[in-house]
Amino acid sequence: MAPQPKMPRSWRAETKPHKFCPGCGHGIILKFLGEAIDELEIQDRVIFGCDIGCSLLSWDFFNLDSVQTHHGRTIPVMTGIKRARPELICIAYMGDGGGYSIGTQHMVSAAARNEKITAILANNTQYAMTGGQMAPTTLPGQKTETSPYGREPELTGYPLQGPEMVSAITPDGAYVARSSIGNLRQLKGALKKALENQINGNGFSFVEALSSCPTNWRTNAKDTWSFIENEMSKHFKVGEIKAPGTGQGEAG
Amino acid sequence: MSEKIMQEEKRVFMTGNEVVAWAAIAAKADIMYGYPITPQNEIMHYWTRLVPKYNKAFLQTEDELSAGFTTVGGVMAGRKAFTATAGPGNTLMQEPMSMAEMMRLPTVVVIQQRGGPSTATVIYSQQEVTLTTLGGNGEGMRIVYSTANHQELYDYTIKAFNTAWKYRFPTFVLGDGYQAKMREPLTIYRPEDRGMQIIEPQAYVGLAGVPGRDRPPAHHRNTYNLEEELYEKVSHDMAEFERIAPEVAEFQAENTDDADLVVVGHGVVFRAVREAVNNLREQGHQVGYFRPVTLRPLPVQQIKELSAGVGKILVVESAYGQLARLFKEVAYGGTAEITHFFRPGIGITATEVADRVKGLLEPVLRQPRLRKASFG
Amino acid sequence: MSIINKDRIVEAYIGEYAAGKSEAALSRALELAALGRKVTLVDLDIVEPCYTLRPVQKELMARGVDVIAWETKETLGLGEAGATIKPEARWALRRPGDVILDIGYGVAGSKTLKLLEGADEDPFLSVICVVNTSRPMTSGMEQIVEHVREMGKVDGLINNTHLGGETTVEVVQEGAGIITRAAKNLGLPVVATTAPAFIAGQIGSVDCLGNPVRPLAGMMSKAFW
Repeated sequence: MAPQPKMPRSWRAETKPHKFCPGCGHGIILKFLGEAIDELEIQDRVIFGCDIGCSLLSWDFFNLDSVQTHHGRTIPVMTGIKRARPELICIAYMGDGGGYSIGTQHMVSAAARNEKITAILANNTQYAMTGGQMAPTTLPGQKTETSPYGREPELTGYPLQGPEMVSAITPDGAYVARSSIGNLRQLKGALKKALENQINGNGFSFVEALSSCPTNWRTNAKDTWSFIENEMSKHFKVGEIKAPGTGQGEAG
Repeated sequence: MSEKIMQEEKRVFMTGNEVVAWAAIAAKADIMYGYPITPQNEIMHYWTRLVPKYNKAFLQTEDELSAGFTTVGGVMAGRKAFTATAGPGNTLMQEPMSMAEMMRLPTVVVIQQRGGPSTATVIYSQQEVTLTTLGGNGEGMRIVYSTANHQELYDYTIKAFNTAWKYRFPTFVLGDGYQAKMREPLTIYRPEDRGMQIIEPQAYVGLAGVPGRDRPPAHHRNTYNLEEELYEKVSHDMAEFERIAPEVAEFQAENTDDADLVVVGHGVVFRAVREAVNNLREQGHQVGYFRPVTLRPLPVQQIKELSAGVGKILVVESAYGQLARLFKEVAYGGTAEITHFFRPGIGITATEVADRVKGLLEPVLRQPRLRKASFG
Repeated sequence: MSIINKDRIVEAYIGEYAAGKSEAALSRALELAALGRKVTLVDLDIVEPCYTLRPVQKELMARGVDVIAWETKETLGLGEAGATIKPEARWALRRPGDVILDIGYGVAGSKTLKLLEGADEDPFLSVICVVNTSRPMTSGMEQIVEHVREMGKVDGLINNTHLGGETTVEVVQEGAGIITRAAKNLGLPVVATTAPAFIAGQIGSVDCLGNPVRPLAGMMSKAFW
């Protein structure tokens, strides 16, 4: 048997191999989330909440106490846990439909309150589990099942700028970044900082990860990477947007 | 200083919403999540005033979806969490409560019914019975106490926390705008002083030890893959709900044995029903009353016996048949003729009930009976 | 008639939720009207009003009190977000004669008076805090002192201790004791003990601590919503 890549300690081996599609970005994001949890040694006090959409397949992914919630409602469930037991580290894991569409009011309000939870959002530019419909993040011209002739911004708007929005409305203490599965070092760094920011009690922490959905994009490996690196990057700027004590994210 | 208040039984004078806040303190609730809506606001007003004195917590959320889902989070963290709402807020509350129903979460929600449908009035109705007992996409596996006065609001709010944490079904205290705002005396007390055992909460997540090393991880879900899997889950829970129903169900009845007619009403309307029946009895009429205290589960056995043993039943409510529908489903097969006095969104006085009863007791000679139904 | 009138009475009734402010205010207005005085009674209950002057204003007007209050049917969604203030209320202190202000409850306390033109400089304005010791938040001497201090400007207290239909002379007198001690602590007078007419009759013209007794009109029980 060929040597297997090392699994994070916080992963649950019994539920592997996981059920995400070949080439899906979730596995990559969750791997670095697992490594960050391991390195911070917080496995005994993390509560992992996952949304509806493909993200719900992570409900038994970790050796972490976990709650699979409703579509868009992971942020309030994790907020409820955090407010009741502030010593716990609460992670809300969701897709772009959950965070930017059906659950936007929760994202906005948790950010504005500087709720001390960590939200991680996988942006794959469409609703994947329901078969590839248009999402707030769908690129102009991108064909989906509900934009069969390509997204027309005149009719349906431009891709929602989530981290920029969260950055604009969070008070000091918030951590906000956009990462990409195309930049693993930056992705892992952002996830770790987003957890550290909660551990330090600074405020709301938010990481959007540009992710892949070859299944609904109908792309091979090469085209998948090309879509992330060449198409998504035109609309979504990767990088740290706001971090406590750095002066980043201030109006200017 | 305020802690002294709860150290001894005391006769006090309050509005219903305040009563709920004090009862939640007495029940050792830890945290309230809430969103403003009339007529439940003073529950939040008084809870927030009591929070620092009793070391409690409060979060004002962005809407009732969030109030419900944060309450779900609070109970999963092992804390006694509750929320309160009304009307359109109750509509939104159904989504989180369906999650609580599926995951057997002991949420406590206080509903102060207002007029419906839609925004309607901020004042009063009994039009949230269907929503509260059977709302959400599910089977109505909830426990709903319908109170009639401030003492009951106090008693049943305390009881609701115990019931929720004992049976792990979402539990509701169903009041209304009148009860919310009315003022009347009641006795506040510490449940322990009356020998009541306060049930301690237990965490669903955030358990001791490292998951996967010291213990299995706590993985909670509300999604199922296959129809068979869901069928098994729901059947199991439904069987348990039906098993506990007889010990949860509560009712109040008087003079039903020899009655020609029994008046059925719940909540604040029961006050008018009782007064009307007592007055009619004094006038020599053979009437009685039956009041379900739990609207879900209903006192099934007692309703079946009643509808098999009495000639006429008059269902009275400030809604267009929401209690009557629940009641008739249980009464099906009985011989009683069931008639109605429906007053959606408006209060009902004892005089109005008595007049309706008298009309039913006198044989109607003026017109042939074409239809059985008679509407308020 | 000049606004400046030496024996002009301007009183604002404030206090805890359900302390009995409206009943005390309207009883005072009726008492003054019965003496042949010109009286305006103003509804300033703006936090979740429920027992308000609105339903009884016609009866009050028939008994010689001028009332500034909305009628429920005039205002869509009353209670939704507190209540709107009737424009005339803002100018109430400019009216000739006595003015009795029924201020609702709320964390603002007597700050609600800032909504009235001339409240800052009206030399006759007296703010009276109505207290019922049967209400848990104001059941003890120290709590009342804390409560009144949070209210802002207060010029006197009213003992309105009662238990609704269960009120007895003893209940009222016990409240008088606690509230009089609180008033001494605050350096304020007890303006009156108020009680339903039949109880007031049993107590006499002064309560057990010498505070004057005012009978209540008992109209607010009709004023629900």
